[in-house]
Amino acid sequence: KLSHLTRSTGAGGLAQWVLVELQGEVEPRQSGELAGSLLGDLHYTHEGIPVLIVGHHILYGKVVQLEKPFAVLVKQGAGEPGAEPLARYGVTALIKTKLLFKTRPKPIITNVPKKV
Amino acid sequence: SLVIRGEKDEQAVLCSKDKTYDMKIADTSNMLLFIPGCKTPEQLKADPASCNIIHSQIAGFSNNYWELRRCRPKLRKLRKLLMEDPYKGPDSQKDQTSTFSQYTTEDLLSLIQASEEEILHELQVIDACKIEGYWRILEFDYEMKLLNHVTQLIDSESWSSNKVPLRTCLEELGSLEPTEMIEHILLSYGRKYTDAGEVYFEMHEDKICRAIAQMLLQNAVKFNLSEFQEVWQQSVPEGMTTKLDQLKGLALVDKNSRPETIFLLKVEDLPEDNQERFNSLFSIREKWTEVDITPYIQDLCAEKQTVGALLTKYARSSMQNGVKVYNSRRPIS
Repeated sequence: KLSHLTRSTGAGGLAQWVLVELQGEVEPRQSGELAGSLLGDLHYTHEGIPVLIVGHHILYGKVVQLEKPFAVLVKQGAGEPGAEPLARYGVTALIKTKLLFKTRPKPIITNVPKKV
Repeated sequence: SLVIRGEKDEQAVLCSKDKTYDMKIADTSNMLLFIPGCKTPEQLKADPASCNIIHSQIAGFSNNYWELRRCRPKLRKLRKLLMEDPYKGPDSQKDQTSTFSQYTTEDLLSLIQASEEEILHELQVIDACKIEGYWRILEFDYEMKLLNHVTQLIDSESWSSNKVPLRTCLEELGSLEPTEMIEHILLSYGRKYTDAGEVYFEMHEDKICRAIAQMLLQNAVKFNLSEFQEVWQQSVPEGMTTKLDQLKGLALVDKNSRPETIFLLKVEDLPEDNQERFNSLFSIREKWTEVDITPYIQDLCAEKQTVGALLTKYARSSMQNGVKVYNSRRPIS
């Protein structure tokens, strides 16, 4: 009936994470799993524009300061009935920034045929 | 810390110490990846040494998240729980076996979807009191009996109702009722203060007149307005003046009937949900003026929302005899 949210104990303040927002879905290359797989490379241009290279696609995004920051919660404590009546969620991290990629991924062409 | 409250059949709310928020799951068609320790351009600029590849792990991903929206605390349930077993006085308690649930502060904190401060404030508003560790509401008749003891004493002692001494009240009335109850009724209907080391109460004229009106009105479906006003003025303590303004949210005057009538309509008996509240009001009366309807919708206003905004959303306005009136947006059966 009651769930408590508390700040996780730890040195210093809460960890700050970053959110990366992508349109559509991400699938593993072969029929592998997502866990442990490499997603891609994240770069920033000199102007601070985030650039994501996934497979042979390139995505351009922008850094957005979240109007409403997120708190990342991790459930702690027993979930069994009768064990502990209070479910606890620890606040693991805060997310105040997101990298939003909403432009269409462009294929990276490395070989441009020369005009004959 | 924050607390999520709600029973299995209720929608969850999140409470801070003094605020309540609705929790909703928000879906997005986008994919949200969480990356601990990922640096933003600003952070990298500030640290020019880190030009190497930083291996970051994606901690997880999701396409939904919980969204919080500040909401009105859901306090109707509090009143409902305490009304299950109103306190009727020390004598009646002996006959009762406790077949009813009784609620401590902790019980209420786990059952009511509101923050602690909002709950404690509401307990004060409804004049609840703690008896043997449990929060109780007084049964109205018992409450009036206690109030009557006090007003009669004020009259017989010829005190000013602004300076009612606690000590004498307890001495004179202590044989009739428990001293805690006498003090409770004084606190409910007066403002406590000290003067030269003695405790006094400045009685709330409006609240006393209002309670006496309720006592009169609950005995019939409706009353002839002028007859009621006469009886009402005669029933209140000497020196107090009755005014229809005191009855906002308690009673409604029908100015269209001949003769004019008045009947009991308590806002706390009306639905808590906005649409249901308006439906209920429009089934009681087809057209309302803003002045008449305001006391019955004031409590629905969200943070920074006005009565006018509510009326725009839930009602339609028109002119009747040069006065702006509101009626339902949809047909009411």
